[in-house]
Amino acid sequence: MYGKGLKPLSIATVAMLVVALSLVFFYAPLDADQGFIQKIFYIHVPLATVALIGFIVGGLFAIAHLRTGNSSWDAYSYVSIHISVIFGVAVLITGAIWAKASWGHWWVWNEPTLVSFLIVFLLYCTYYPFRYAIEDREQQARYASVFAVTAGAFVPLNFLAVRMAQSLVHPRVFATSNGGLPGSMMLTFLCCLAAVALLWTTLVKFELAAKSASGQVKRLRRAIGAPGSGSTSRIAPEVS
Amino acid sequence: MLALLLAEAPALPLDEAGKYVAGAYIVFVVLLVVYVAIMAAKLGRIEKELREVASFAEAKANPGMPGRQAEGMPGRDPAQPATGSDRDLTPSEAVGGPAAPARGERDV
Repeated sequence: MYGKGLKPLSIATVAMLVVALSLVFFYAPLDADQGFIQKIFYIHVPLATVALIGFIVGGLFAIAHLRTGNSSWDAYSYVSIHISVIFGVAVLITGAIWAKASWGHWWVWNEPTLVSFLIVFLLYCTYYPFRYAIEDREQQARYASVFAVTAGAFVPLNFLAVRMAQSLVHPRVFATSNGGLPGSMMLTFLCCLAAVALLWTTLVKFELAAKSASGQVKRLRRAIGAPGSGSTSRIAPEVS
Repeated sequence: MLALLLAEAPALPLDEAGKYVAGAYIVFVVLLVVYVAIMAAKLGRIEKELREVASFAEAKANPGMPGRQAEGMPGRDPAQPATGSDRDLTPSEAVGGPAAPARGERDV
């Protein structure tokens, strides 16, 4: 069930990634200010955007879990957060590389955008030990959902607070009254955003399909009384 | 097509900037590859578990015979299509899908 449509989705993701990377290196013009370094923007910003939206989506799935009590929503929430944390690692590393090339430092502590993303990332890193600390599976799923809803609500608030803060160094390329991205750069950026969003969706489905397969094997073990049928994963929700 | 594309492309400057851009994209690709490798290991583990469960089920169905040996049971003509519990699962069945019809069987 979870693997349904995974093949066309994977093909679409690969095709979109190829198109996006071709546009980045063969179509988008060089930035007048930053030059070639600006190419990092096309991977760094979509990853950050999709990771943050993924955290919010995880919160929405958690709301569905709390409302219905259906453990599948908990699995969706867990996997959404899991993939977003992986994307978060990529955001922090690509951001540090861009900062080093642009500002000469790997990390700037007085830059609100960087520090706020790190706070969000670290907040979601605590999701795993928090979940792992609770033994009862139902209680674990419920508490994890409450965490996902609360943290998911914090993400847009945090984003707005940072946008309203006066930043001296972090580039602002959207929502500026004059300027912003020219058409060719915007098109490239939107393609990259679509490619990364597709990648996120594919990985979420892939992870869910793997968890589902693992859950089915455990069910089968229990049904036929095979050895090892009592062992269950404490950290990850079991998908049936 | 590629030659046209390259002719239109801005020249990649081989100065200081190139290594940082390459580094950022390599990090992205490496993370993706590591993730896929971890998932491949997980799938390998699931497959192994499934094989163990299948062996256990076969051994249970044919007591006194190790699971995989049940396939070579006396009295079964290897030329005939396997039916019931003495045949291997199709990939579709292995992941919980419907059973494929045996050779010669057709839906009417």
